[in-house]
Amino acid sequence: MATPTRPASPAATVLGRWRIARPRGRWLALALVALAGLAVLLLAPHYLLLGSEQRTLGSVFMFVALAQAWNIIGGFAGYPSFGNVVFFGLGGYTTAILMAKAGASFWLTLPAAAAVGVLFAVLMGVPVLRLRGHYFAIATLGVAEGVREVVINLDGLTGGNSGITVPAVGPEAVTSYPGNTGFYFYFLALALAAVAVVWLVSRSRFGFGLRAIAQDEDAAAAAGLNTTRAKVTAFALSALITAPAGAIYAFQQVTIYPARLFDVEITVLMVIMVVLGGSGTVLGPVVGAVALQYLSEWLRTNYTDLHTIIFGAIIVLAVVLLPMGAVNFARESWAHRRVSLLETIRTYRL
Amino acid sequence: MSAPVLETRGLGRRFGGLAAVDDVSLRVEEGTVIGVIGPNGAGKSTLINLITGHLKPTRGTVAIDGRDVTGQRPWAIAKAGVARTFQIVKPFRELTVRENVAIGSMFGPERARSVREARELADEVLERVGLLGEAGARPGGLSVADARRLELAKALAMRPRLLLLDEVMAGLRPGEIDRALELVRSLRRGGMTILVVEHVMKAIMSVSDSVLVMQEGRELVRGAPEEIVRDQRVIEAYLGQRYARRVSERDSGNGHA
Repeated sequence: MATPTRPASPAATVLGRWRIARPRGRWLALALVALAGLAVLLLAPHYLLLGSEQRTLGSVFMFVALAQAWNIIGGFAGYPSFGNVVFFGLGGYTTAILMAKAGASFWLTLPAAAAVGVLFAVLMGVPVLRLRGHYFAIATLGVAEGVREVVINLDGLTGGNSGITVPAVGPEAVTSYPGNTGFYFYFLALALAAVAVVWLVSRSRFGFGLRAIAQDEDAAAAAGLNTTRAKVTAFALSALITAPAGAIYAFQQVTIYPARLFDVEITVLMVIMVVLGGSGTVLGPVVGAVALQYLSEWLRTNYTDLHTIIFGAIIVLAVVLLPMGAVNFARESWAHRRVSLLETIRTYRL
Repeated sequence: MSAPVLETRGLGRRFGGLAAVDDVSLRVEEGTVIGVIGPNGAGKSTLINLITGHLKPTRGTVAIDGRDVTGQRPWAIAKAGVARTFQIVKPFRELTVRENVAIGSMFGPERARSVREARELADEVLERVGLLGEAGARPGGLSVADARRLELAKALAMRPRLLLLDEVMAGLRPGEIDRALELVRSLRRGGMTILVVEHVMKAIMSVSDSVLVMQEGRELVRGAPEEIVRDQRVIEAYLGQRYARRVSERDSGNGHA
């Protein structure tokens, strides 16, 4: 019925087909690459990796999830949280306390940890998200440090500085310890979920709202966006991913201490991974987390004494050379068909 | 008779000892254009900020379509049908021009059903203001005139009941001002209610049904544009005494303005 009555010129037909075909082809290629990658990640522990390699990769996945969670509030909404580790710590302690004191199954503590993280994000976010820029960064840093002190002082519940131990073996262990392979898959699942969430956010009305807030909050509000609700939602979503990461980490470590679970270095790593990878992008935090975790691991084994100072120097250099992040740099270089680090330094001068 | 689209009663805002806006009462009926003029610091932009909730009034009330919105947050007032432009343009720099405009249809009073629909609506608005050719560009590269068009397009994408324009013609060349004025007229023909704050005297007089002249936060004179341009107080306050002398000399010379 809907046959073309007018024969199109050959050139137009070819062009038309090419125009339609290109995005479809790109999606198909992307889907195939993703599926192949997923297959490798799922099969690798059984065929390719040693236990220690599984452990390293597990921590890479954990940081992919943490960086992706930070990306929602820090990258998309532009609110540089320096206290995201608080959700990690609260998630870890929720799981440890429920498993150790109440004999709960790990799988029951996981949603509980997420709920505690989200609840805390909302309670903390409503007042703190009224601050902007540096003030917000400092306030979140302060909240995280404060919560750590509270956890240390509630030693009847948390064991204070001497830590708390999850029953992982023997008759007291409600959930049997899953070992390196198990944690590899837990962290992989969390990382995939985090990437999926951020991908959905990046395409949604909510994600556009967050980007508008990052760029001009007054104008976003004038357009009818409830900026308070959007910011608090972004913070809660960030906690929803971060707290379970802490829960899995606590189970994996068996014994946890406030100094590690609320370590500001974990927040700093999230920030650096996102910024170097490309903040506000879906791929950036993945690239940043994988690159930095492997770099850090490699430096630790090869330059045992100097690894932190070399790591620091590389980060400083990277921030100077790639202030917009690797993914954005690659995208712009591709768009202009030209690679120039000097030019980006000029454009994005700090 | 239905409630006016915008009604303020005794609206005011103090900053410490200074009353930036003091006791302004306005009624803007549906489909009319009101112009607000006054020298620098007269409180014109503050008045807009009080209406949109970007500033909280320290006295008086604001009602949109008869509903009191005094003290509400900007997004709530936007949802009530109020859109505005900012005197210093506020584009979302990392979004494309099309996405900038789509934000208005995503979150405004008549939310688009989807992101895709918001983009399509944005293109319609861009076409209307003559900016469709720049839809895929970033706002950073736009000319002054185009940046102001974008500011206007962002507001129009909300399909507002009431449009507040804060000096959208400042810094434009005469030809560009004429295009902007034609756009305001066409919006008015479409039934939109508009409040225009402007420095360009000619511009505001030719589009307004009535004009409010402000000085030091207060209402100085209000009336039809023809009356305003002849009002001695306005000419002295707004244009300076030298201009006032020149006008009166010219008027006595050839008998009409």
